[in-house]
Amino acid sequence: MTKGVKIIGAVVLLVLAAAIVVVMLNFRTSDNTHIVILQNNKVIYSLDLSKEKDRSFRIESPDGGWNEVKIENGKICIADADCPDQTCVHTGVLRSEGVPIVCLPHKLVIRFSDEESS
Amino acid sequence: MKAGKLTKLALLTALALIIFIVELHFPNLIPLPGVKLGLANIITVYAVYKYSAKEVALIVVSRLLLGAFFSGNVSALMYSGAGAALCLIGMLLVKKVIPYKYIWLSSIVGAVLHNTGQIIVAVLIVGSFAVVSYYPILIISGCIAGAFTGICAQLLVKRELPENGK
Repeated sequence: MTKGVKIIGAVVLLVLAAAIVVVMLNFRTSDNTHIVILQNNKVIYSLDLSKEKDRSFRIESPDGGWNEVKIENGKICIADADCPDQTCVHTGVLRSEGVPIVCLPHKLVIRFSDEESS
Repeated sequence: MKAGKLTKLALLTALALIIFIVELHFPNLIPLPGVKLGLANIITVYAVYKYSAKEVALIVVSRLLLGAFFSGNVSALMYSGAGAALCLIGMLLVKKVIPYKYIWLSSIVGAVLHNTGQIIVAVLIVGSFAVVSYYPILIISGCIAGAFTGICAQLLVKRELPENGK
């Protein structure tokens, strides 16, 4: 094993270890009920899921295309979308601070809001 | 470029494209943007160790363009393009330091750089740092996927060497 291999191997190991630590710290299920929906990095909805009735609504993208957002039993998810990859639909309900629901084609982000005030 | 070389590169591109299309039909176990096994990169890693920088770039660019058209997901091209560019630059650099025996390691470096490129483009396009919270997951998945494709490429490189008479 040459010196170069050792150095690169050590760097990769460090980065991997750091990533695992961050994931373990950040990816617990959140009990925050305040969420925001951002489009093009602007807040278009700010909701308290504990006060929301079950409903679903469609968010149109300015560039065309849509996402169908569903709120059920205090959980939020994207139920349907017209993009080809459907990643946001498969992501499922919003569970943790570390994993926002992201729809890259429509520049849509659903995440827990930063302030936990009720 | 000699016809023989061109044929080999075209063959590799076709192979990568087939692997890419077949992988599209796999169910996605971890449905997060950017998390993917990336089996087509077996060909990329192989090519990095067997061909010149220009030739590898040719294979990767053709595969990306054709892959985007065939899968109908042209908007994904920006992400895969940025990822591939960063990955290629990085791999061509670490290739000088990492010998054949540790191809899996340079493949991991390539995979993580690929994810880095994707995240940078995602931040620019979505205009929000929210997507950065995916980065640690992408690093972990990149290490696993990169190690796997790297090991596959390492087996291939070994197998092809005597055939080429090098």
